Amino acid sequence: MNTKIMKTNVSTKKNRGQFLRTLKKNKLLIIMCLPAILFFLIFSYLPMPGLYLAFIRFNYAQGIFNSPFVGLENFRFLILSGKLWELTKNTVLYNAAFILIGSSLQVCVAVLLNEIANKRFKKFSQTIMFLPHFISFVLVGLFAYNILSFDFGVLNTFLRSVGLEPVKAYSTPEVWPIIIVVTHLWKSTGYGSIIYFATIMGIDPQIIEASQIDGANVFQKIRFIILPSIRPTFVILLLFSIGSILRGNFQLFYNMVGSSNSMLFETTDIIETFVFRALINNFNFSLGSAVSLYQSVFGFALIMVSNWVVRRIEPDYALF
Amino acid sequence: MKTRFKLLALLMVLVLIMGITGCVKSGETSGTQGQMTEENKSGDISKTDSTEDGEELEFVELTFLMMGNVPTNGQLELAMAEWNKILEEEINAHLKIEWVEWADWLTKYNLLMASGEPIDLITSGDWLDMWPNAQKGAFMPLDDLLQYAPLTSADITAEEWETCKLDDTTYFFPEQNYTQYVNHGFYYRGDWAKEFGIDKVTDYESFGQYLQGVADNKEGVVPWDANGSKFDLYDGWIISETDSLELLMVPTGYHKAVWAESKENKYTAYSPIFNDTFMEFAKTMQEWGDAGYWREDVLNFKGDTRELFKAGQSGADQHHTQTYRGLRWEMDNLIPGSEIGFYPFGSTRKNLTQLSIIHGATAIGANSQNPERAVMAYEILRQNEEFYRLFVYGREGVQYEIVDGVKTRPEGYNDADHEFYTDFWSGREDKFELPTDTEYAGIYDLWAEFDSYAIPDPYSRFIFDRTPVEAELAAISDVTSALGPAITYGKTGDPEAAVVEYREKLKKAGIDKVLEEVQRQLDDYKVMVEGK
Amino acid sequence: MIEKNNKLSSKKDSGKVIMTAVSYVFITFFTLACLLPFILMLSSSLTSEKSVIINGFNLWPKEFSTLAYKIIFENPKDILGGYIVTILLTTIGTALGLWIISMTGYALQRKDFAWRNKITYFFYFTTLFSGGLVPYYLLMTKYLGLKDNYLAILLPGLMSPWLIILMRNFMKSIPHSITESAKIDGANDFQIYTKLIMPLAKPALATIGLFLALQYWNEWYNAMLFLSPNVEHRPLQLYLYNVVTQAESIKNSAANSNVPPQDMPNETIKMAVGIIATGPVIIFYPFVQKYFIQGITIGAVKG
Repeated sequence: MNTKIMKTNVSTKKNRGQFLRTLKKNKLLIIMCLPAILFFLIFSYLPMPGLYLAFIRFNYAQGIFNSPFVGLENFRFLILSGKLWELTKNTVLYNAAFILIGSSLQVCVAVLLNEIANKRFKKFSQTIMFLPHFISFVLVGLFAYNILSFDFGVLNTFLRSVGLEPVKAYSTPEVWPIIIVVTHLWKSTGYGSIIYFATIMGIDPQIIEASQIDGANVFQKIRFIILPSIRPTFVILLLFSIGSILRGNFQLFYNMVGSSNSMLFETTDIIETFVFRALINNFNFSLGSAVSLYQSVFGFALIMVSNWVVRRIEPDYALF
Repeated sequence: MKTRFKLLALLMVLVLIMGITGCVKSGETSGTQGQMTEENKSGDISKTDSTEDGEELEFVELTFLMMGNVPTNGQLELAMAEWNKILEEEINAHLKIEWVEWADWLTKYNLLMASGEPIDLITSGDWLDMWPNAQKGAFMPLDDLLQYAPLTSADITAEEWETCKLDDTTYFFPEQNYTQYVNHGFYYRGDWAKEFGIDKVTDYESFGQYLQGVADNKEGVVPWDANGSKFDLYDGWIISETDSLELLMVPTGYHKAVWAESKENKYTAYSPIFNDTFMEFAKTMQEWGDAGYWREDVLNFKGDTRELFKAGQSGADQHHTQTYRGLRWEMDNLIPGSEIGFYPFGSTRKNLTQLSIIHGATAIGANSQNPERAVMAYEILRQNEEFYRLFVYGREGVQYEIVDGVKTRPEGYNDADHEFYTDFWSGREDKFELPTDTEYAGIYDLWAEFDSYAIPDPYSRFIFDRTPVEAELAAISDVTSALGPAITYGKTGDPEAAVVEYREKLKKAGIDKVLEEVQRQLDDYKVMVEGK
Repeated sequence: MIEKNNKLSSKKDSGKVIMTAVSYVFITFFTLACLLPFILMLSSSLTSEKSVIINGFNLWPKEFSTLAYKIIFENPKDILGGYIVTILLTTIGTALGLWIISMTGYALQRKDFAWRNKITYFFYFTTLFSGGLVPYYLLMTKYLGLKDNYLAILLPGLMSPWLIILMRNFMKSIPHSITESAKIDGANDFQIYTKLIMPLAKPALATIGLFLALQYWNEWYNAMLFLSPNVEHRPLQLYLYNVVTQAESIKNSAANSNVPPQDMPNETIKMAVGIIATGPVIIFYPFVQKYFIQGITIGAVKG
């Protein structure tokens, strides 16, 4: 209602009146948002000008804003490496795979769990699926090595025992995208499916009953009731991930691939691992900030476009 | 928050009042320490019924930043109580250790420097980015403070002081009175080497023969079960096959890409990667790798080679002299007759540089609240034997006892309950150090041998300014860290092609610009050194 | 009529049987995949270090040893203190965070709230751009004075844009008519939220609460940055992380020229630490889950 009035009024005075009216009308709602607004103001917006670090030669004694300005100097090493495109591509593709396959698998697990009637089994399996989330990446990397190692690995021990050729996983870059994606799925699916599971549990049982009376079978129930109820969450998750599509999971890649096996880099090198190697003994806050800024701007552009598209199609699902 | 502010205000007022009444005891005006304690006592008397805030003024709490995890068995606190008694007596201060724990230590350490927290004494050194941090204003100039550590300062020669200066300002106390060699090399089983008819490993050739011997004769043992993070194969090659000198101040990642030519041409920078010797290296390592001297997946192996070596699963291990000192003793007990041998890279061509005296160095934080007192405390640490031993060894009778001038573990000592460390690595003194019964007795002969040909660090005063080539160094670090390991462990399949590619990528990343910059600064340095 | 029903049900049944079978097979398979590494961890943590180094990890200890646990529990004080601090932070943080998140989430999904999109964007923007480590560190230590203060861990974890927006979405499923009719009855927004919406939003609260709790449980990074070792009791995860890195770094640090050689059961300690950090979750999650599922099913909106 208010927005209509807003469009007809253009004079500033009336706009201000409008502003105050909105303020008054939504006073309590605004107050309810206030703690969160303050929180983000302090913890996120206050440090944000610190992004200026990316453009200076940081001097501790002078502080961030009095340090000499060096323009784009700190971004130069990204260009020098000649890898910017490859790194960006790898990071984006991996994240895209994580998001799409990951979300689908999470939905799958949630829907199937919902179909299981045995309470005990349900509880047990849900608890167990949760576990990988807690196993640190360091251990995940160790386990992976124990399975895949050429000389001593479980996999090759098995292959040799049945008379097959052992595989050299750590010198075959082609298999690594699969290994990485599978590891990621294994680690995050149980945890991520909670959201969907909760959404399904939240569906009004009466609706399901009504559909059963109407003679809907189990597949129709899933298709016409369960999946539509999940859709908004799915889309929101998707949008959320797009903003950070250029931020890779350092721990995962570092512990699985390591930082010295260049044979695997063409398929496994992401921005974070590159930065780690570049700054390994040349500790420099400004170079790190520069990379982070690049990731932010990239993500920002992408999310603005995607959100606009979503809004055109289904305004209710848009983030903002 | 508010109460804290009030307290602060109260303190300020107190300080003012005390300043006016002339009750402040600080190093600035006092002459000798005796006088100071006198002052304190009178101060004490005059404030018998004052508040606790007054006491805080009375005492100064000093902090010393160290690398390491906080000990939790309570022994540190007990020793601290003891050493604080001495400090109280001498300069009316307490000294506590502020730890930077190993979890993400590099980030944490640099954050502390960047945030300008008021730390008094700071562990620094050439491995802790001392010069970049000094350039960025993390430390306080020491020139006006040296008077508070008269003995320690007098003990440091003018030449040694020169190595602690940046733009003619002193920033560090060096560790100039402590003997240690941290030159790297390989450890091998002396008993096995004899079996294979190798008397002593002296270079890469004989080391290769030894590894081949292990491969041929020792079933189930990996000749050298290295893990990919070890980069010293390359360093070792350059040191034993050429006369090049390391330029540690130019950080280039996995491989040191920039070296100085030789003792004779120590002001000439070059990159051995572009010489035939590197091609030779790459080919040799391909042979070693193909011969199975290390495991197939060496680049991803994260295992603990030292443990494997101790367990007889690996035929060799790689580290430096200081580690050999303890390891040899340990192995003599673990596997009697193992006769662990040590092949230091520098021994082949007598190419060895003494450890820089600023490998460990102590600085005063730029925002230290009590710099004078901090320096006084440091003086006591380095000049007071009782204090020193408390600080470095722990309490006599608990952590150690001295039998015939040798440090031993007391009866009933066990690591869990009694282990003690402060990780003080920036100002140890030989005069207070004791030989221990947990080290290889032959270490002193080895040192003597090193002393006979080691040259003093020629770059001790060379402070490389990275800023013009920061981007290039980062790009080069990526290239060396990406391709270096594969070449080092012969994992490329075609070493020649790999070396060509490696050189191309280094060129692209700006190695020439870095070499030029290093050369330019070395030329200036030469003028500075020779001009004096 | 009856016939028709029978037909229907048989058709339904066959579909249901297939679906149930698929569910059981799939979930069982996935559960096993998640369970195996955990068993590996448990077994390895109870194996002697030497055996692990020589034989790798096994599903059953070849050489039984509890040394790793001994080393960790050498300082029961630390572990105990760590548990207490972690549990306190988790409960307080989760409760406080839930309250703010749900309040904000409710306000943001009100269709009659003119600025809801602007404010949502204000939150979301922070996920795209962040000041970075140095400014954040300076803010926390210099300007907020939170060094060595538990608030430095409690506050930053209270909420995230992601949780707020998730909450907003969950709340969208609560019919707007409830709010409207209550408004007509003269209730104000805050009353509506506490009296009507909160009970209805149980599933959302349970889910978000779980996420918050897990995040607090696993938190070590802020603790590492802001709680110096002078703080006597630090979160469990930080203590465990330090045990692992201590073992690692003593062997690898640039300075270890100076560290006395130590026999740390490196590999097995990592495993033991993993078990200790995860154990409580395994023990408590089923309990939480009970309430979680109850909350969700009760909370389902009865139209």
